[in-house]
Amino acid sequence: MASFINKVNELNLSRRSFLKASAVATASLPLVGCGNSLIKSATENVTGEEGEWITAACWHNCGGRCLNKALVVDGIVVRQKTDDTHMDSPEFPQQRACLRGRSQRQQVFGADRLKYPMKRKNWAPGGGNKELRGQDEWVRISWEEALDIVASELKRNIQEHGNRSIFSTLEFGSLANSEIAKLLTLVGGCVTHSGTRSWGTWKATPRLIGEIPEPMPGLQINDRFDLLNCKTVIMLGANPAWSAISGTPYYTRLANEAGAKFIFIDPFYNDTASLVDGEWIPVRPATDTAFLLGVAYVMITTDDPVTNPIIDWEFLKANTVGFDEESMPEDADPKDNFKDYVLGTYDGVPKTPEWASKICGAKPDQIRYLANELRMHNKVALLTAYAPARNKNADNLPQLVMTIGAMGGHMGKSGHCTGVSSNANAFNGGPRLVQPGGDGIPPYKNPVDDSIRDAVMWPAILDGEYSYVGSLDGGPFLPAERRKLDIKVIYNGGVGNSLQSRDGMNKGIKAYRKVDFVVTHAQFLNTQAKYSDVVLPVTTWWERLGGFLTGGRETLFMYSQVVKPLYEAKDDAWVAEELAKLLGVDPKKLYPFDEKQQFFNKIAGSTVVTDDGKGMEPLVTITNEDIAEWGVQGKPQKGRIGLKELQKKGVYQVERHANDNFGYIAFSDPPAAVAGATQEKFFDKSKIKIYSKEFEDTINAMGFSKIRGIPTYIEPEDGYEKTFSDWDNQIKGEFPFQVMNPHYLRRSHTVFDNIRWLQEAWPSPLFINENDAKAHGISTGDTVLLTSPHGQTLRTALLTQRFIPGVIGLPHGSWPDIDEKTGIDTGGADNMLCGAISTGQGTSGWNTAICNIEKYKGTPLVPDVQRPQRIIF
Amino acid sequence: MGYQGFYFNMTRCIGCKTCQIACKDRNDQDIGINFRLVKTFELGLYPNPSIYHYSGACNHCANPKCVEGCPTGAMYVADDGTVQHDKNKCIGCRYCIWNCPYGAPQFIPELGKVGKCDSCKDLRENGENPVCVDACIMRALEWGDIEELRARHAGEELTSELPILAPPHITNPSLLIKPKKNARLKEYQEKEM
Repeated sequence: MASFINKVNELNLSRRSFLKASAVATASLPLVGCGNSLIKSATENVTGEEGEWITAACWHNCGGRCLNKALVVDGIVVRQKTDDTHMDSPEFPQQRACLRGRSQRQQVFGADRLKYPMKRKNWAPGGGNKELRGQDEWVRISWEEALDIVASELKRNIQEHGNRSIFSTLEFGSLANSEIAKLLTLVGGCVTHSGTRSWGTWKATPRLIGEIPEPMPGLQINDRFDLLNCKTVIMLGANPAWSAISGTPYYTRLANEAGAKFIFIDPFYNDTASLVDGEWIPVRPATDTAFLLGVAYVMITTDDPVTNPIIDWEFLKANTVGFDEESMPEDADPKDNFKDYVLGTYDGVPKTPEWASKICGAKPDQIRYLANELRMHNKVALLTAYAPARNKNADNLPQLVMTIGAMGGHMGKSGHCTGVSSNANAFNGGPRLVQPGGDGIPPYKNPVDDSIRDAVMWPAILDGEYSYVGSLDGGPFLPAERRKLDIKVIYNGGVGNSLQSRDGMNKGIKAYRKVDFVVTHAQFLNTQAKYSDVVLPVTTWWERLGGFLTGGRETLFMYSQVVKPLYEAKDDAWVAEELAKLLGVDPKKLYPFDEKQQFFNKIAGSTVVTDDGKGMEPLVTITNEDIAEWGVQGKPQKGRIGLKELQKKGVYQVERHANDNFGYIAFSDPPAAVAGATQEKFFDKSKIKIYSKEFEDTINAMGFSKIRGIPTYIEPEDGYEKTFSDWDNQIKGEFPFQVMNPHYLRRSHTVFDNIRWLQEAWPSPLFINENDAKAHGISTGDTVLLTSPHGQTLRTALLTQRFIPGVIGLPHGSWPDIDEKTGIDTGGADNMLCGAISTGQGTSGWNTAICNIEKYKGTPLVPDVQRPQRIIF
Repeated sequence: MGYQGFYFNMTRCIGCKTCQIACKDRNDQDIGINFRLVKTFELGLYPNPSIYHYSGACNHCANPKCVEGCPTGAMYVADDGTVQHDKNKCIGCRYCIWNCPYGAPQFIPELGKVGKCDSCKDLRENGENPVCVDACIMRALEWGDIEELRARHAGEELTSELPILAPPHITNPSLLIKPKKNARLKEYQEKEM
C-alpha cells in the first residue's frame, strides 16, 4: 500500500486517471479497510459535479427509514449524503439519515466483509467435531462445493429424519429475505419459530382483549400534527432519541415547543427526556404493571364527577367491559372486576401508591401526580414504546395501558391518545399514505406447522421436545401440545442473527453444538456465522438491483444498485435457486419471473393517498418506453411521478401541512384510506376488554404461566423480587441487580457493531448508578463482570447519575466473544444474561434479567475499537 | 470583512453524533481523527441529573492562533474569512495543535500532516451547506455570516463562552451557541456514552 502512495505522489496524474488507477489497484482490497489517505487525496474538491448520486438502500431494522445517497465516481463510492430533495420544514421535513445509515459505506466496503464461501476445518457430515463450532479454523471453498454440501445435508436429513429435522431461523414474513423459507417449503417444509420480538406482549395481547389495531402499522396513536395539541405527553419506557431516531425526536421537540409537557417513566433519564426538558419518574424494569395499578388506585379513589372529575365514566361505560361490577359480562363472576381488584375489596390488598412504590421504586407522590395528569379534561397522550412489554409475565400490561387510557377517556379525539408509539410510527400514527406494490410472487405455505417460541427455542433443540402452541405471527393461539423434536440442521437463511438476539445464548451455543449441520448466509462473521459449519457470503442491498423500503407513513424510498457484488458474494435469491436445482425443484416454482419483473411489479403496484384523503391511487407513471427499457411485462399507467424521476429522486414523500386531509385520530371513525391495514382490524369501540375470559383462557392454555382476565400484578420471573433472598426483610440475594438493555445508537440490533467509526463514537459501556458502582469499588473505565443465573459477560463501566439505583444498563446488540476456557463472554452480549424462559404468550422478556456485578480480576477489556476485525481471508 | 462560522443550538442536540460521522465520511477519516467531535456532559445527582451535548468543529476564529503560529503558512485565512489549511505547505510540525484552544487541528499519522475542518469550503462555493449542517437530525447546526446568524437568532442568549470551552477572547471564535441553562454551570463531568 505504502509504495503505491509514493508512486502516486511522484506522478502528475489527473484526478480522473488517478481514480481509475486506484480502482484497478485496489479492486481486491476494500478501500476503506486499508487506510484512507488514498481516497482522501482523490476526493479533494469533489463537489458532486462529477460522478453520480445513487439512492442507496438503508435497509436496517432500526425502527425507521431515511434517505441515503451514495456518490459513485468511476465505480467507487466516495461519500454519502442524505435527503436534499426538497426544502426542509417542520411540516414537510427532509428524511435525514442517522449516523448508522451514514456509516454504510464503511459497512458495505468493510475489510471484514465475507468474501468467499467457507466451511470450518473440523466439520464432516454428521457434524464432525461439534464442540469446535465457534472456535474452529475456516477453509475457503468454492460455491460449487458449498452448495453441494448444503444440498446434500438437507437431502440426507430430510430423507433419514424427515422435514421436521430442519430448523429455519428465518423470520418469516419480514423484510424480503424469505428466499430460503420459500425454498424449504418447496421441499417439504421445516420447523420454524416465532416470538414476541420487538413488540413484547403487544404481539398477542391486543388481539385477545378487543379488536385493537396491531401496533404496527401504528394505528393506536394520533398523527404528528394532532400530537401538537396535547398538553401532557406521558412516555412509558420510550426513548426515541436512541430507539426511533428517524423523525421522532424531531417531532417530540416540535410538540414540546408547541406547549406539551413530557413525563418519562423509565429506569434511565434518557436523551429524549433531556431534549424536551421532561420530568423523570424513575422506575425499575418490569414493574410498570405495579406502577400503573397504583395510578389506577389514585384515579379511582380521588375521582369525583362533580368536584374532581378524573375518570371519564361515560367513555368507560360506552367502550369497555369489565371495569367494575356493573360492567362485567353476564357469564363472569362479578367479583372479578378490575376496580375491586385495584381497591383490594376481595384480596385485601389495596393497590395503593405505597404498595406500588415498594415494587416499582417510584415515589408514592409521583404516582399520585401522574394519576392527576391523566384526568379526563387534560389533553393527554399516554404513549408507550415496547420496552415495558418486553418483559416476562407482562401479558396484561398492554391491557392495563389501554385501561388507564380509557379511564381518562384519552382516545378517539383530538389532543388525546393512548397506545404504542414505536418504530417508524413513533409520535406519528395513522395508516400509510404511500405504499409499495407487491412483487407478484404467490405466497408460500409451510407444510410443517411446528413453531417454537423464540424464548425457548434453544431448550427445545436441546431437550428434544417442546410445547407447540401455534404461532405468534398471525396465530393461531393454541393450547399446549407436547411434541417431540429432533433437529439435525439449523439453516440461518438471511434476516436475523438469532443465536445472538434470542433469549438464553449459552443454551443456544449448546444447541448449535448438538445438531449435525449449521449453515448461515452472512455479510460478516456475526454470531450465528461464527458458530456455523458452512458460511455463504451474501450481498448487501447496495449490491442488488433495487427495491422499495418503508418507514414512516408519509414516505416511500426507492433504492437502486450502487455497486456490483463484492468478491464472491451472491444474492440470497441466487443461493435459493441454485439449491433448488440441486434439490430437484424447478427454480421457476421459487421465482416464476426474474428480479427485474418483481421490482417492476412493485413499482407498478405502488399507491399514494388521493388528495381528498379518502382513497389510494397509482403512484408511478409508467410509459411504454419504460416497459421496453426494462424488458418486462406490464401496462402503461398514469400516476403521480414518472418512473425515472422516482428512481433518480429515490423518495416519494407526501407533502403534509396542518389541517390537511391526511391526519389521523386513533379510535375515532375509521379513515377511508387504509392502505395495507385491513378494515376489520380497526378498533371496535364496544370491545376494550378490561376483563376478558378468552384472554385468560387462551394464555393459560399455552401452559407457560398463568394470568387473570383483568390486569393484575404478577411477580415476574427474573424480576425485581428475585434480586432478594428475603423479600420481607429486604435482604438482597445472589443477583442483586436488574439488567435493562437500552437500544443503542452504535447499532441497529446486532448490525453495525463491527463498524470502526461507530465503535469510536459509541463505545458501548455498562451504565451503572454512581453510588452502586462506588459501593462495589468500581470506577469509570474498570472492567466489570456481570453474572446472571444464565451466563456471564464483561463490559467497561461508565458511572452515571442517570440510572435508578439497583439497575444497570447493558446496551443491546453487542457481539459476543466468549473465552472458551472460562465461559465468560468478553463482548457484553445481552443474551448471555437473559435466560431462555417462556411466560404467558411465550414472551421474550429481555428487560427481565438479574445479575451480580463485580470488578473483574482478570485481563481488562480493551475498547471495542481496538479489538481486531474478524477478517477471515 | 464579515466572518463566517457555525451556529449551534445546544437545546436541540441529542448527541447522536450524526454530524461527527457525516464529517468523517466527507473527509474520509480514519478512527482517531474527528474534524467535528461531539461530547456529552452530565451534572447533578440522582434523581435530578441533567445532561447536555456539545458538537464542535473548527471555529474559524477572527484571531486564529493556528495561523499566527504556523511556520510555513500552511494555516491561512482564506478570501471568505474562514481558516483553511494547505496540505502542500504543511510540514507536520503541529504548532497549530499546540496553539488552538479548541482541538480543531489534528495530526494525521499516515500523511504526516495536520488536517482540520475546512467548513466544506468547496461545497459552500457550490451553493451547499457544510455536510454537518444538512446532516443534523435535530436541525441544531447552521452556517453563515456571523452577524446575520446573530440577527436571525436574536433573543436566544447566544454565547461562545462556556465552562467547557476556552475563553473566547483568546482567538475570537466565529461561533454562536444557544446553550442549555445547565451548560453554564461549572460542575460538569464528561461522559463517554
